[in-house]
Amino acid sequence: MYIDPHIHVTSRTTDDYEAMRKAGIVAIIEPAFWLGQPRTEVGSFKDYFSSLVGWERFRAKQFGIVHYCTMGLNSKEANNVPLAEEVMELLPLFVGKEGVVAIGEIGYDDQTPAEDRFYRLQLELAKEVNLPVLIHTPHRDKRKGTTKSMDVSEEHGLDPRMVIVDHNNEETAKEVLDRGYWAGFTIYPHTKMGSERMVEIVRQYGPERIIVDSAADWGVSDPLAVPKTAALMRKMGIPEEHIRLVCYQNALTAYAQSGQMEEMDWLKPDPIDQRQRQFGNSVLRGGQSPKVEGEASDIVEN
Amino acid sequence: MIHLSMDLEKTKTFLLEILKMNAEPKSLDWLALQKEKIGEDTSYMKFYLAFGMASRYFKKNLMDLSETKIQKAKTLVEGFSPESWDQLQTARSYLLLHFGIADASAWVDAINKLFETADMHEQQSLYAALPLMPFREEMVERAVEGLRTNIASVFDAIALDNPYPSQYMEERAWNQMVLKAVFMQRPLYRIQGADKRANPTLAKILVDFAHERWAAGRKVMPELWRFVGPYLDIQNFGDIEKVIHSSDPLEKNAALLACHQSGFVPANSLLKQFPKVQREIQQGELTWEKIGREFENLSRPQ
Repeated sequence: MYIDPHIHVTSRTTDDYEAMRKAGIVAIIEPAFWLGQPRTEVGSFKDYFSSLVGWERFRAKQFGIVHYCTMGLNSKEANNVPLAEEVMELLPLFVGKEGVVAIGEIGYDDQTPAEDRFYRLQLELAKEVNLPVLIHTPHRDKRKGTTKSMDVSEEHGLDPRMVIVDHNNEETAKEVLDRGYWAGFTIYPHTKMGSERMVEIVRQYGPERIIVDSAADWGVSDPLAVPKTAALMRKMGIPEEHIRLVCYQNALTAYAQSGQMEEMDWLKPDPIDQRQRQFGNSVLRGGQSPKVEGEASDIVEN
Repeated sequence: MIHLSMDLEKTKTFLLEILKMNAEPKSLDWLALQKEKIGEDTSYMKFYLAFGMASRYFKKNLMDLSETKIQKAKTLVEGFSPESWDQLQTARSYLLLHFGIADASAWVDAINKLFETADMHEQQSLYAALPLMPFREEMVERAVEGLRTNIASVFDAIALDNPYPSQYMEERAWNQMVLKAVFMQRPLYRIQGADKRANPTLAKILVDFAHERWAAGRKVMPELWRFVGPYLDIQNFGDIEKVIHSSDPLEKNAALLACHQSGFVPANSLLKQFPKVQREIQQGELTWEKIGREFENLSRPQ
């Protein structure tokens, strides 16, 4: 069993969902993020947030994957200040929803004053509703941005145990772990971590508070990054228990602090699921039943 | 259409009564506190938050109700079926009934905002509670919009075990609902007021749908013929004959039951050729509910 605690499945196909389930992914977390281009209306945020707790959750369920999400205003879009202010008014309506396991992904992109302002406001929101925080560390000027993210979080009095700092690399790992934070590593081709480097990180630091994710989205990325990295670790002689911690248990422990995520969600089916199944196949539309197993074929099912 | 009145106070009392028999005392304490808060708040925020937070206090277990309570529900609101509800949605409906704005348009605006930001289960709760809402006529557009969903559980909350559609929707919307229920293979016997709202336009749409399915080499769910039976005529009689001669016993019985509903003489003569089935129908052993349940059992995934 694996958890991918950072994946933007809204951008992925049902083929991906099938492959993920087949590879052993049982639960995923979809952090609220941007769409690859900036939004211009607050309504776009509202519909996006509601799809994260509605349609996407349903879609994932069709493939036997439990979908959770984080809510937040991402750092890129924090730079449109009038819009960001409207989003801040919207967020309280969504942060208390079922399956919202953190405020995130928030933090810095260009490290502008606007980004700083909305990052701080959202740290306060997280404290108020007692949710963990998922920090997106910047791609550029990463080391400084990562340090600053933690400094500001501490300035606002957040316990590092409630904060997941994501997109780490060899340069940031030590400080994040030493300061007591959860350290996320994103296996994303070319821009973030590769799986071979990940094996070395786990070898060097051990499994404590390390979390592997894919951050797969609309870019060239891999929704199977977590199971693939696990397989590579196994091949490279990382102990099975360490693999379980970094590819499953640590994410669960970190986000379960929200009170919105527990193992029973996928181990013991929801009574609602049973009731839906009782109505016949759990259709997407027109009686399709998503298949998880099966051989490749040229025949498209009728 | 008959629009029935509802005694709001009695319904509130009833919901609390049945919750007391199902939920934990601490959950009920929380509910009582929220009821007070909602009453004092003018910004609606307390209501929105309580509606969301209810998932932290109530389970999604189906309500366990005595026969007396099931009957009592129907005396409060015709067709009201809390036996198909879970604890959480019952608690949410209880909160909803305490959201007291006297002005219809202000109430509708506030509830629409809740609909637009609702997660999957919240949507289910809201749509299933339509027959209990204070401004029911004003919610028709919302209900029609809700039927456009592809989330089966949300569609079901409106279409199944709910007296609202047959009491409030005009023919076009009703017909679309039934057609979509057929398309999504929902259990049609759980649509309330099905026979009362059957109409020749719907019969024609469903026969066309059956032709389309057959042309694609697909089967048609047996319950479909329930809506065609009362409108059998020279044009569609060939279709019913075809189904009667099918190798599927369930489809055959459905077609014969449709003939029984019909005033068309050739249909009655055809039914007479199957005296055993005719007897079962007359003795109430072969009903649409029975056909629907058997079909559900067949299509249930193993």
